[in-house]
Amino acid sequence: MNQDDLLFAKTHEWVAITTEDEGRFATLGLSAFAVEELSDLVFIELPEVGRQVKAEEPFCEVESVKAVSDLYAPVSGEVVAVNDTLPDALETLKEDPYGAGWIAKIRITDDAGLTHLMDYKTYQRQCEEEG
Amino acid sequence: MPYLYNTPEDQREMLAAIGADSLADLFDTIPGDLQLSGLLDLPPALSEMELDRELNQFAGCNQHAGTLACFLGGGSYDHFVPAVVDAIGSRSEFYTSYTPYQAEASQGNLQVVFEYQSLIARLTGMDISNASMYDGGSATAEAVLMAISTTRRHGNVVVPHSVHPEYRATIATYLENLDVEIRWLKTPMGVTETEHLAQAVDDQTAAVVLQHPNFFGCLEEPVKVAQIAQNAGALLVSIFDPISLGLLTRPGDDGANIAVAEGQSLGTPMTYGGPYLGIMACDKKLVRRMPGRIAGQTVDRHGKRCFVLTLQTREQHIRREKATSNVCTNQGLFALRATVYLAQLGPQGLRETANLCLQKSHYASQQLCRQPRFSPAFDQPTFKEFVIRDAENRVDELLQSATDSGYLAGIPLKSWYPELADCFLVAVTEKRTREEIDGLVRVLGDSA
Amino acid sequence: MKNTQDTELLFDLSRPGRRAARLPACDVPERPLSELLPSTALAQTPPNLPELSEPQVVRHFVNLSTQNMSVDTHFYPLGSCTMKYNPKRNERAASLPGLADLHPYQPDSTLQGILQILYELQEMLQEISGLAACSLQPAAGAHGELAALLVASAYFRDLGQKRSIVLVPDNAHGTNPASATMAGFQTVSIKTTSAGFVDMAELTAHLSEQVAVLMITNPSTLGLFEPNMRQIADQVHAVGGLVYLDGANMNAILGITRPGDFGADMQHYNPHKTFSGPHGGGGPGAGPICVTERLAPYLPVPLVVRQNEQDLQKNGDSPPVYRLDFSRPKSIGQVRAFFGNVGVLLRAYAYLRTHGPEGLRRVAENAVLNANYLLSRVKTMLPVPQGDRCMHEFVASAAQLKAEKNISAMDIAKRLLDYGFHAPTVYFPLTVAEAIMIEPTESEGKQTLDAFAEVLSHILQEDPQLLHDAPHTTSISRPDEVRAARHPILSHPEE
Repeated sequence: MNQDDLLFAKTHEWVAITTEDEGRFATLGLSAFAVEELSDLVFIELPEVGRQVKAEEPFCEVESVKAVSDLYAPVSGEVVAVNDTLPDALETLKEDPYGAGWIAKIRITDDAGLTHLMDYKTYQRQCEEEG
Repeated sequence: MPYLYNTPEDQREMLAAIGADSLADLFDTIPGDLQLSGLLDLPPALSEMELDRELNQFAGCNQHAGTLACFLGGGSYDHFVPAVVDAIGSRSEFYTSYTPYQAEASQGNLQVVFEYQSLIARLTGMDISNASMYDGGSATAEAVLMAISTTRRHGNVVVPHSVHPEYRATIATYLENLDVEIRWLKTPMGVTETEHLAQAVDDQTAAVVLQHPNFFGCLEEPVKVAQIAQNAGALLVSIFDPISLGLLTRPGDDGANIAVAEGQSLGTPMTYGGPYLGIMACDKKLVRRMPGRIAGQTVDRHGKRCFVLTLQTREQHIRREKATSNVCTNQGLFALRATVYLAQLGPQGLRETANLCLQKSHYASQQLCRQPRFSPAFDQPTFKEFVIRDAENRVDELLQSATDSGYLAGIPLKSWYPELADCFLVAVTEKRTREEIDGLVRVLGDSA
Repeated sequence: MKNTQDTELLFDLSRPGRRAARLPACDVPERPLSELLPSTALAQTPPNLPELSEPQVVRHFVNLSTQNMSVDTHFYPLGSCTMKYNPKRNERAASLPGLADLHPYQPDSTLQGILQILYELQEMLQEISGLAACSLQPAAGAHGELAALLVASAYFRDLGQKRSIVLVPDNAHGTNPASATMAGFQTVSIKTTSAGFVDMAELTAHLSEQVAVLMITNPSTLGLFEPNMRQIADQVHAVGGLVYLDGANMNAILGITRPGDFGADMQHYNPHKTFSGPHGGGGPGAGPICVTERLAPYLPVPLVVRQNEQDLQKNGDSPPVYRLDFSRPKSIGQVRAFFGNVGVLLRAYAYLRTHGPEGLRRVAENAVLNANYLLSRVKTMLPVPQGDRCMHEFVASAAQLKAEKNISAMDIAKRLLDYGFHAPTVYFPLTVAEAIMIEPTESEGKQTLDAFAEVLSHILQEDPQLLHDAPHTTSISRPDEVRAARHPILSHPEE
């Protein structure tokens, strides 16, 4: 996926919205900037498929050697798929953050959270300020 | 003072460098009204010689397992401690070091912990051991918390009365504010009755706790219990006796998800109840929920094998209120002693130790129960401990008169089990000789 | 002296058929296992342990011991851990058979010596803390925190009050919030000011009738005495809350000020720090707690009590003077099996008896003198953000150095090892960037501190690459921690 087509959360998750027969879905991952900042990830705890998540609440954890970071759900909904290959191939997060490094797919039940997301350019400005 | 270093001259120079006029000046950030105006009301200082005399006097006021034949068990045992264990345990490079935060300056400790974890994994048949917990009781309570967080079931845990009463008390204390029901199972037969257990577990049960051999010394049916627990989606927390594993099947083979134990038997003196060694081991898939320190193998920058503390994101210093536990220390010195003990005993030594406990305890039970006054309280197979019923129901007198004759004969069960007020628990380790056992039988018989 | 045997694992040394321990022959009639135990309970094979000779076992572990830094071999200024000298007289005393070979379920009448020691230790700890009652049961500082928070919760339950919040300043040890969670409370973190003190406005904003306990470390983890301590305690008390003192830093204030006098309702001790119990490579510790009179009924059972004269007379000839008291109906119960970490408590007793009241005060004075002296030297090389004076420890920062020369706190820590000094605590507290936390303790002195300061000064002038690559002289170089965590190897594989 091209980063310009994605939406970004203040907390560094990216979101791709798709509409399919069964409804609207959000595919989520972690931005290249965040992956770089966290450095040397050692573990990811994926959410369970079927779990209900709420916008702006933690739904997934990534760990480096001496830090734990929560990932926050940008929308409310049900986790319908997770990227099972990640735990054994964490380098994918770095190598292809917006493609093979996707983390979870959520069926959106409430898209109110989407209004808080920003486009890539705006997100990049935030990163420059943080960096 | 014996352990201070600075001379008066040092002190003057140091104060000058600091820019303070006196020692009192150094405390001027403490508001004056909070400072003590006089000295603490404590007894005066003793020289080494005086201290030595005083402590020897206190020690002399105790009767101990060197002067009384000790048949007490219940989670603390008079097992033999080889001299090698004391020799290594008194190396001050071990005992005056601390948690190996700097791996490069702590490879001794870290390798010992790694070897300890490896030995415990082999002994228990579990995948992973941590670097140890405070003691058997708190390790059991932590295992229950771990089961609750793993299963995400906050409904209930099931605990039979055949689990050590002080471990049960500890579980109850730990769960007091967490809104999880504890379902106690009565064990009138001396063991967990699997039909009752099956009725007690449901789809909100996080853990079943089983001690095998149990507090009464009786063998439980761990395989059946594991099946019942796991069929309901609960975890089995299995409390084992490390010495028994010289002969008995391993908790991992029996189906335990988390295995915990009091490791005092492995080379640690009884010291009136502590400090001891809490052993904890678990399934590979539970490791991220495990409390406590864990050492792991890795390589250094030159590719050399070495050891570090690892998986630290579980712990309080990183995860704070979301940590798996508040535990930060492990019982390093006793993990070391257990490692040396197991290395010294080896497979045959542990097997022979277990066999001596088994043979001698059965002999003791048989000899005691030849007297009409005494009978086994439970008709169950036992390992190194057993419960005796006194037909005359005068347990306190009986044990008191045995003490007077030089025998710590058993533990009265009344305070924990009112229904067993006429019973006492006897433990026989490999250290007890036939002479001592025969003496015990004679003394208990004589007081009839 | 190169030693090639020292890093082999026990498992590599093992050979089938070798053995160290020989046990006596069975002196009772031996019966077949099948008569004694059901066959399903019996393992088919002996446990899979290594097979070694006794000399091998000894050489292995002695060689491993030489790969540690320890208080007996090195200056060990590990902040927050109080790595003071561990007196040998205490070690010898604790191994006396009359103290080490006591079973926890012996009758009280056979234990009058140990019970008197423990009773007097309770009394001494109460006096040092200025609090009314003491439980020796908890097994470590964090365990004491948990026990005390459960005491607080039982107290509020008894009062019919529901309070769910524990306040913790942001520079506290991680154990504080972790203990609060275990005790069923919700932790709310309180910001500290740039000077390192509790932000009074923040505190006021967070105080309510929901607050059960404020946990405070005083002196703080920055080595500073909280100047508003009395007001903080008063404000917490005003909303009906309790003040818990994390006693990790008691070494600075022994005989100078008392937690009970500055408003604490509860505290734990770390006898392995303050009262010289050896740290044992990670433990054992102990975590006795002291509380005010009104919290005393909730303490864990048992306590050691001294029978009063009346009861003694009533009970005839020679009843035990000291006994364990289990009949405390409001107690939270037990937080572990058996009485407590008696071996550690014995050493604390011996330490207190060796010092007496004057000696204890001199411990605090010298701990604070040493820390301030080292501070006066270190601050000329590294910024110490929280000021010119400290109590028993201080926190320097390598943040500037990191920005200017890319030298981190970790680089300095590792390079110190090369010069024979154990590293200070680094990256704690979290409120100071590139923190280097230094605690010399009272059993060190000017010569050692001068040597340390000179080495530090020298290190800071060295080629940064030397520091990045340090340590150079230890048995291993820096370990790959990412690999350890990503692909955990937590035991030696079984054949």
